Amino acid sequence: MIGFLINGLLRKQLSKSLTSILGSGVILGSFVVSLLIFFQVKQGHTAVVNLFDFISVGKLSIPFSFQVDQLSSIFLLIITGVGFLIHVYSAAYMHEEEGQHYARYFAYLNLFVFSMLLLVLGSNYVIMFIGWEGVGLCSYLLIGYWFKNIDYTNAAKKAFVMNRIGDLGFLLAIFWIIGKFGTVSYGNLFEQVAANAKTLEGSAAIVGITLLLFIGATGKSAQIPLYTWLPDAMAGPTPVSALIHAATMVTAGIYMIARSNILYTLAPFTNTIVAIIGLATALFAATIAIKQNDIKKVLAYSTVSQLGYMFLGLGVGAYTGAVFHVMTHAFFKALLFLGAGSVIHAMHHEQDIRRMGGLKKYLPITHLTFLLGCIAIAGIPPFSGFFSKDEILAAAYAANPVYWVIGVITAGMTAFYMFRLYATTFLGQFRGAEHLHGHHPHESPAAMTIPLIVLAILSVIGGWVGIPEVLMKDAHSLEHFLDPIFAASSKFAHPHHLSHSTEYGLMGASVLLAVILIFFAIGRYSKRPELGEPTGFGKVLANKWYVDELYNAIIVKPLNWIGKFLNNFVERDVIDWTVNGVGKVISYSSRQVRLLQSGQVGSYVLLMVLGILAFFVIQFFVKK
Amino acid sequence: MNGLQFEALLPYTLLAAASLVVILLIAFRLSHTVIQITGFILMCAVMVALLQASALLPVAIYPIFQIDGFALLFTGLLVLCVMVVGLFSFIYFEEREENPKEYYILLFLGTLGAAVLSISSHFISLFIGLELLSVSLYALIAYLRNRNNAVEAGIKYLVLAAISSAFLLFGMAMIYMETGSMEFATIAKKLQTSNGHSILFITGTGMMVVAIGFKLALAPFHLWAADVYEGAPTPVTAFIATASKIGVFAVLLRFFQTIGLSNYPMVITVFLVLAVASMIIGNLLALRQQNLKRLLAYSSIAHFGYLLVAFLPGNAAGVQVAVFYLLSYSITLLIAFGVITLLSSREQDTGDLALFRGLFWKKPVTAAVLTLALLSLAGIPLTGGFLAKFFVLATGAQQQLWFPVTVLVITSVIGLYYYLRVISTLFGEAVPTPVKKTLHPFFYLTTYTSLIVMVVLLCWLGTFPNDVIEYINRQLLIR
Repeated sequence: MIGFLINGLLRKQLSKSLTSILGSGVILGSFVVSLLIFFQVKQGHTAVVNLFDFISVGKLSIPFSFQVDQLSSIFLLIITGVGFLIHVYSAAYMHEEEGQHYARYFAYLNLFVFSMLLLVLGSNYVIMFIGWEGVGLCSYLLIGYWFKNIDYTNAAKKAFVMNRIGDLGFLLAIFWIIGKFGTVSYGNLFEQVAANAKTLEGSAAIVGITLLLFIGATGKSAQIPLYTWLPDAMAGPTPVSALIHAATMVTAGIYMIARSNILYTLAPFTNTIVAIIGLATALFAATIAIKQNDIKKVLAYSTVSQLGYMFLGLGVGAYTGAVFHVMTHAFFKALLFLGAGSVIHAMHHEQDIRRMGGLKKYLPITHLTFLLGCIAIAGIPPFSGFFSKDEILAAAYAANPVYWVIGVITAGMTAFYMFRLYATTFLGQFRGAEHLHGHHPHESPAAMTIPLIVLAILSVIGGWVGIPEVLMKDAHSLEHFLDPIFAASSKFAHPHHLSHSTEYGLMGASVLLAVILIFFAIGRYSKRPELGEPTGFGKVLANKWYVDELYNAIIVKPLNWIGKFLNNFVERDVIDWTVNGVGKVISYSSRQVRLLQSGQVGSYVLLMVLGILAFFVIQFFVKK
Repeated sequence: MNGLQFEALLPYTLLAAASLVVILLIAFRLSHTVIQITGFILMCAVMVALLQASALLPVAIYPIFQIDGFALLFTGLLVLCVMVVGLFSFIYFEEREENPKEYYILLFLGTLGAAVLSISSHFISLFIGLELLSVSLYALIAYLRNRNNAVEAGIKYLVLAAISSAFLLFGMAMIYMETGSMEFATIAKKLQTSNGHSILFITGTGMMVVAIGFKLALAPFHLWAADVYEGAPTPVTAFIATASKIGVFAVLLRFFQTIGLSNYPMVITVFLVLAVASMIIGNLLALRQQNLKRLLAYSSIAHFGYLLVAFLPGNAAGVQVAVFYLLSYSITLLIAFGVITLLSSREQDTGDLALFRGLFWKKPVTAAVLTLALLSLAGIPLTGGFLAKFFVLATGAQQQLWFPVTVLVITSVIGLYYYLRVISTLFGEAVPTPVKKTLHPFFYLTTYTSLIVMVVLLCWLGTFPNDVIEYINRQLLIR
């Protein structure tokens, strides 16, 4: 927050290096604090810190307080850690901006982290909502950062509006919670729910609340039907995409549902919906990603798809798995985005992969880290993606084998399109010569490559906190750590247990499929990259199944028409006429009354006497 | 009269003594400054005496006076108002043609009259206090006797006040005929037994209402307000707007609390009509007003209409709310009139709105102060005026007096217009109006300081009223 204020208000005066040091420095400070908090929490010290009474009306008391426990501390670490790396990266990436815009960027970025921290630290839904809105605002500000380009600002608007639709669901859920339970604090609420679990299970209230909360999550975390803003949001600077649209903001929805896990466990109907939508989104987005030609768009659809996985995990009750995947996804997706940023930077802002290729020898560090990220996302052991994805898939199989089948197909597609991207960009011939006027691209500065390296390391080893039981006994430290959060839930859940052999089989199947498709993709695309426009069914995929056009026709055009109608008819003729009319009447009365003030004492006395007479009359008429 | 009663009466004795002291000072030909300072010190002494007397309450000086927490509150408010008015008077009268020294005698006598009203529990003391107040005001209004405005205003006030006094006396005589006593408590007892629906009582009250309505400038007895506010010297206007109304309202509250207003729905109806009429007429009249002093007169009419809504239920909560409202209203008006005083030139009081145009660009602090006062009158949150109006609304709503409450809301909205119009004039194009300052800057400084102190008070009232409300409550319980 301090960073935001200083950078924001003094942006015209600060030099570039000072800005970046300040902006990154405050995040580093936050990261250090988060680490300290994490160690405290690990020892079992959770706390609810009450700052002040925010709203206190009648029986409803909403304090402005923070809840520090296992779930929030994990998210804290992710946000501040990855955030810090991205800040450092941005310092170099945004170097071409002039002073005050540079500072504006860092100011917004700091504000974003502040809001996100508020979101995860809040101890009740209202504080979470404040942070929720804050990140939505910052997303708008940052997507539209280069505001002189009208397309970008439109994208920012689209993001904000879609977020808003989801927020409506969130708000309604909050109101319902207040109405039904009288409190929004996590502690109170979850205790109440746990105590009345038998009566509440499957009840209309719980299902309604969880559905509304989920609507909020679909808006923020880009699920069907509110996902179209995310690919357009790639208009913002790449580090922004990395931070907001890969690692943090989009995971807010997951956080919310994970936090409310006990509510979801008691509403199996909603869980099914969550799982199905998550799965559908994952599949749908993956199909689109196969045919995209913009580096960032591929990654964007990949994000939507991975988020779908996380929701699938939540929907089948694998809460730890979903949070785990949040963590690993933050690592490798941020890595991939930053890597893409490095490529874009080297290619002087060219983003079309058809004009890249053969970058392996020009950008060695970027190439290696990008490759590691791709392997991680494809789910190959022992990289981090494997463990988290597999945990979700195993839980999906236990819930319903169909989920698993679709999940594995999507995983395969993920591997495929990621390696298509990798191969087209880094392997084969360099096709960008004319764009760069004959120069060769060179590797990015250290400020950009070091974060890449750090994230790559994390992508590789990050999964080792969550090794499932089948492979190693008692090694799932993440699950142990998060136990207290999900404990209440697990009492009511119907856990599915799989035999070890089934699990091995599942793991093997998904890995095998992934490996096959990886080699296929590399083989195909390094030799013959797709350079032309896609045709046939590919065209549908490339045009995102024409969903945007559909939305435009169904929603946007009618709304515009209604707006025009209301303006011309209702606003001008009805409302203006009434308001102006009232004004005229009052004005007229005023003139008439004023005429009584003649200045003549005699008339004053007369009026007084008339008044007295009137009073007497009134008095005698009010007799019972 | 025993020692205790003397002690309790000390503040009022001091007030009377103040006038005498001023007379003596004039006889010894001392300067205006000395008189001003002495007067100020004496008023402070009265406050101190009040605080001391507060430990002894309640004291009854049977049958005419009743000094209790209620009286303490109102007398305190009165003296505060007079202190500020005295402060304003100095810079105002110093430059004017009249000899300002006798002004203070009248001022303190008027205050004494108002203070007597606040402790009176008998018709006689009511009448004496009222007359003391009125007669002082006759002279005060017409003080700058060579100006036509002033004399005209004075004569109007004299004539109308005399008529209303006549009605008052007649009404009091009728009630005496009905109950055989003039003391409030005894009247209440007698009325209870005779079931209070007698023609005499109702007619008597109706007539008394004339006087009350006149003094408080309630419609339809409000016609004098604009002319008098405009014609009188600005500090006197401030005095009329605050002190005289405070005193009369005090005795009104006391009388009707003692006899129990809720038992007489006919009287309540009368006040209801008064309130509604005042709110509507006050706001309508002010809408197109171009003179700030007249505008404030009309807005006073409306404000006392609002105040009566709190008075209607006739319960303890209503009294508490009314006191709070009077407090914030007095502060606000004093600020407004203080600003007008500061800006007035020798020849003519700065009343015309055109003269205020662009004040913000020349004297930002003064303009800001005036803006805050106007916002408080309009009832914008964060000012005392908002909370006061809110409490009045709440009290009315609690008693389910939906009609006056609705009128209150609607007329407040109408009222917002002219306050905002004035504020926007302050921010308009600057117009050069030279005001020569001929006095030692110290006096201007004190006036500015008092203005700022009052503004701070107003905002404090608007944001943390709890302390004040509790204090009021405590005092009201001492009876």
